[in-house]
Amino acid sequence: MNKIAARAFPAFAIGFALFYAPGYSFTGATSTVNWPLFTYFPAINQWRWLLVPGNDNSGPPMWWYGWIASSVLVGLVFAAIAMLLPERALRKISPTLIWVVPVCAFIFLLNWELSWFVTGWKPIWFS
Amino acid sequence: MITALLIVHGIFAMFLVGAITHQALGVFWPRRPGQANFVARMRVANSQGYVNAILTLYVAVFVMGSFLYPTYRVFVRPPLQDLQLTYAIGLFEVKENFAAICLALLPSYWYFWKKAPEFPVTRSALTAILFVTIWYNFIAGHILNNVRGFT
Repeated sequence: MNKIAARAFPAFAIGFALFYAPGYSFTGATSTVNWPLFTYFPAINQWRWLLVPGNDNSGPPMWWYGWIASSVLVGLVFAAIAMLLPERALRKISPTLIWVVPVCAFIFLLNWELSWFVTGWKPIWFS
Repeated sequence: MITALLIVHGIFAMFLVGAITHQALGVFWPRRPGQANFVARMRVANSQGYVNAILTLYVAVFVMGSFLYPTYRVFVRPPLQDLQLTYAIGLFEVKENFAAICLALLPSYWYFWKKAPEFPVTRSALTAILFVTIWYNFIAGHILNNVRGFT
């Protein structure tokens, strides 16, 4: 159990954050990549696979559940890879990355979300 | 039903804020021997004792929030868009994203607090991330709940 926890848990969190942040930032009605695993339409209580934009009949789409599901899958892949890597390498890396990666994900997300608060804001790296 | 769930969500969030605040104070501003006043008593000596409570409460609050989210999306957000209250929508967007990333951090948080005492910096950092996220989400949730009062 300790071996799994020491390797898989940090890798899962890192993989999750690495996928979730761009998943949120790059998802839109015209996205070419299906970042969310599924789309939920709360107005008509329907689930559809992958990214589906909303329309007047289906109402607003919710991708949040789909982003989480996709990120969980990516996190599980990272966890599986971490179980295969040498223990010595992971002991040095994961205790730091486990908190640095989520902080970087927060900064990445805030860079996109500032457009809600600052009129005319364009994400810094893509303006 | 949704209103009752929202109230319970808020009450559990308040418990969660209390638990993470005690732990964060214990980590970053621990009580010194001999200090026994009101503020010192908040700065607990046993920060580890809050880990399971924080985990349980976080998951409970997150699950309740997930059930509330569709109602927000259908009935709350469209009027905010019509009123061009984009800051309120932004508050929620930040809240949902931080909450999701911290949910994925919880297994590691448990591991580093319960099984890996040799990494104090990591434990402190994880507590700090949860502290900031939980407080932000608590305040943002209350602002959204009362947003009509601000317009």
